[in-house]
Amino acid sequence: MAEKLYIEALREGLREEMLRDEDVFIIGEDVGLYGGAFGVTKGLFQEFGENRIIDTPISEAAIAGAAVGAALCGMRPVAEIMFFDFFTIAMDQLVNQGAKNRYMFGGKAKVPMVIRGPMGCGTGAAAQHSQSFPAVFAHFPGLKVVMPATPYDVKGLIKSAIRDDNPVVFAEHKLLYWTKGEVPEEDYTVPIGKADVKRQGSDITLVAGSIMVPRSLEAAKKLEEEGIDVEVIDIRSLKPLDLQTVVSSVKKTGRIIIVEDDPISYGWGAEIAAGIAGSEAFDYLDAPIKRLAGLDIPIPYNPNLEKHAVPQVPDIIEGVKEVLR
Amino acid sequence: MRKIIAKEGETVKVGEPIAIIADAHEELPDLEIADDKSPEKQEESSQVIMQQEDRTEDEKETIPGKIKASPAAKRVARENQIDLSKVTPSGPNGRIVEKDVLAYIQENKVRATPVAKKIAMEKQIDLKSLQKSPVERITKADLEEQMMMQEEESTIPVIGMRKIIAESMTYSKKVAPHIYLSLEVDMSKVIDIREKLIPLVQDKYDVKLSYNHILIKAVATALRLNPLVNSSFTEEKIILKQNINIGLAVALEDGLIVPVIKDADKKGLGIIAKETAELILKAKNKKLLPDEYQGGTFTITNLGMFDIENFCAIINQPETAILAVGKIMKKPVVVDDEITIRPMMNLTLSCDHRAIDGAVGAKFLQNLKEILEEPMNLLL
Repeated sequence: MAEKLYIEALREGLREEMLRDEDVFIIGEDVGLYGGAFGVTKGLFQEFGENRIIDTPISEAAIAGAAVGAALCGMRPVAEIMFFDFFTIAMDQLVNQGAKNRYMFGGKAKVPMVIRGPMGCGTGAAAQHSQSFPAVFAHFPGLKVVMPATPYDVKGLIKSAIRDDNPVVFAEHKLLYWTKGEVPEEDYTVPIGKADVKRQGSDITLVAGSIMVPRSLEAAKKLEEEGIDVEVIDIRSLKPLDLQTVVSSVKKTGRIIIVEDDPISYGWGAEIAAGIAGSEAFDYLDAPIKRLAGLDIPIPYNPNLEKHAVPQVPDIIEGVKEVLR
Repeated sequence: MRKIIAKEGETVKVGEPIAIIADAHEELPDLEIADDKSPEKQEESSQVIMQQEDRTEDEKETIPGKIKASPAAKRVARENQIDLSKVTPSGPNGRIVEKDVLAYIQENKVRATPVAKKIAMEKQIDLKSLQKSPVERITKADLEEQMMMQEEESTIPVIGMRKIIAESMTYSKKVAPHIYLSLEVDMSKVIDIREKLIPLVQDKYDVKLSYNHILIKAVATALRLNPLVNSSFTEEKIILKQNINIGLAVALEDGLIVPVIKDADKKGLGIIAKETAELILKAKNKKLLPDEYQGGTFTITNLGMFDIENFCAIINQPETAILAVGKIMKKPVVVDDEITIRPMMNLTLSCDHRAIDGAVGAKFLQNLKEILEEPMNLLL
């Protein structure tokens, strides 16, 4: 199996879907000739032309609104928002239109769209270009939310997202774009709403998402040297949430840390913690549920401070040791 | 030396200040100094106290009566019926974690046969106290030995005969309003006649004639005269029994049973003596057939052999009366205005007042007294 970059796998997924279904098109800022701010759509303009790779003015509300409208009319748009931070501008179209239309039209209308973009800190992009808040969208009925962590998953999930008849928020951590992983040549999908055990272990369960998955795996590798056997679950989808995979794991390990890139308050880790506390796994908990997440602060511009704003590998190692103490 | 903080002989934790060494003009650090009362210093010292309180946070968190244990530890304890208060915690903040409970189970593991475990559970015996060595299994025999030793603590299950006695006695006292009639009988003539009859009965029936045998015969005769006393009570009717079947309560090691001498009124003393002796032997060996303890119409219970002078018995339902017999005792009695010594015996009749009124019972008892005091009546 060939090793590919996350960004390549994502592009491959988009391209294959565009080849497979002529209703699929891409809309966003600089997605055309420039190939996207991070280069996700590089080459697609040349291949598919301006009718299927549409550059827009700088208006996320317009991008999202156009995507919702096109989807209602039978197209399958993939809208790119240049930075996840600006999902807030697209939010009204997404939350009040995209998420509601299918329900309000009694199932007669459907909104098969994907809205995707890069999130997260670590590039020195400061407070307005560094945020991770996919959990915000998981709050709204009618939206699906995924955040693939590996090249394999990003390709499989973008295909599932495009083929899904509901609006899907697709969160990509910008530090993941240049990570490598095996990606099969053949067509495949990864189901939305299914977590993935990325590493089997017996001592403690780490539930991570997006960039925190490779960080948790790295921490697990280091902890293995100290004889600590860590299980790492990639939650992959925030909505629908696959709690059962986490419950089964906690029943085995008795300990859990949820590792999030989002700010800690009201984050998806709290959702999982509450789910575990109310599940059959409760009786198997041998230590309090712990959360490692972003601090409740805007992401600082100072690179050292920026690093400390979200969990890093040493924080995860320390957290595991604390829970196992 | 400006200040001594720790008192002489006091145990101090490593790292805690015990004294302050400084020049005379130097300002002292922010440590608790009792004799320095400036407002500033007071504020500072309260901070120090707060820090010290932080240190004891762990202990403060403990709520009396509550045991800190993880849900997993609680589950394992529950599954293994472990008292968590006996488990030593190893988790943070004095929390009992799963492995502490598992360690406790391992430490307190006792090797015992399945039967021994079952008995121990039923009788609530702590198997650990019986452990001889870590490898030897505790057996049923070990438990039985232990149970013998703790006699006063041991229990008797309410099953079989015990259960029947408990149920029927409770039932009788519940449904039958008992009245008790008591009188004393001069047994002089019974004693005389018995002395004379013993060899004859021995010869003919190969059994020693007892007072009980004579009582059975006398009671049967008296019942013939008082048919209401030989009855059974139902809500609709009182059944006057045709046959006079006398039950005699026989004490067993673990209860009592009442073998029945059928048609006692029609049988001679010798036959009664022989049958009674045989039934008692069978009863003691637990060989009685149902037919031999069922169908009674009246019961005699005699505790004279235990020196009991008089007592009140509970009616054996559905019969309507029972006669409690006391010990024959020599007593000063007045006969023809003279105090004389006579062998006296107390008889107490318990009657079910639903069927038998006081006068009816009294009449029966009076007839019985007449028969016993003039045993020639038995011949009539």
